[in-house]
Amino acid sequence: MTMFTRNDKDTAPAQAAPQPAKADTHQTAAAMAETKRPQAYAQPLNAASSATHAPSVSVISKALKITGQLESTEDIQIEGEVDGDVRAVSVVVGANAKVKGTVRGEQVQLSGQVDGKIEAKKVMLTRTARMSGDVVHQDITIESGAYIDGHCRPEYGKTEVKAPGLKTVSSGA
Amino acid sequence: MAAFLNLTKPQQRGRKPEPMPVSQLGTACLVRGVLDTEGEVEIHGTFHGRINADCLILGAMGNVEGDIVAREVRIRGRLMGRVFALNVLLEETADVTGRIFHNTVTVARGARFEGRMPWRPPSYFEALDQLPETQP
Repeated sequence: MTMFTRNDKDTAPAQAAPQPAKADTHQTAAAMAETKRPQAYAQPLNAASSATHAPSVSVISKALKITGQLESTEDIQIEGEVDGDVRAVSVVVGANAKVKGTVRGEQVQLSGQVDGKIEAKKVMLTRTARMSGDVVHQDITIESGAYIDGHCRPEYGKTEVKAPGLKTVSSGA
Repeated sequence: MAAFLNLTKPQQRGRKPEPMPVSQLGTACLVRGVLDTEGEVEIHGTFHGRINADCLILGAMGNVEGDIVAREVRIRGRLMGRVFALNVLLEETADVTGRIFHNTVTVARGARFEGRMPWRPPSYFEALDQLPETQP
């Protein structure tokens, strides 16, 4: 019986609790209208992620293979395998990398293997380079040890070789 | 005690003997085609086509149109297409249209998602050789 005769004092503070919130309903309503989406919550993460994790340089690491077309208005570093055309401002093909297709750029540094064509203003073939195909250049460096099977023509810019990286990619929003 | 042994199984699935190098496609990068890797990829640029990876991070500036097959997927950017992944995380800035075939999915507050999220058992992802045809 004592169960049901307890006094209700305990419930009084619980009822009082929501009241302070009512006092500034005017302010909270204004704040709610201002930020419909939880911006205060999302913004710090946005700023952090866009500032630290949005590099413009691309890296194709050794465990990666791309079949298709690769374009950039910035630099590309390839350590993996690309089966298709590559176009960028500066392309670095690493020692264990393989590219099957045309590599176009302002500057191409080759330490790996290219099976196709290089069209660049400045071409550098290092001692580990293996180039099967033609090189169209304006300025070429070939280190001793590099392998070339193809023509080297200093005709970059003279024939109708398109200038690299003029297409804007990041139109986003 | 046997029950505790069972609990450790999902973690073993995720272990890798050696850390794989991270590949990244920068904001200025546009790729059309198929991307295949055993490791981790970060995409901050534009990608059209199919991605096969272990772990994929789609950055806030990233934009993918196509299918993603991975073990783990984190999305902060825009995706139009399908995801086939055990664990999927849509962060605040995600904007996804399509289907997410998942085993576990987390959607952060603020993320935009339009489409379906069908649940699949882990065995479904292990036996995923050919992607199913689905209506858009």
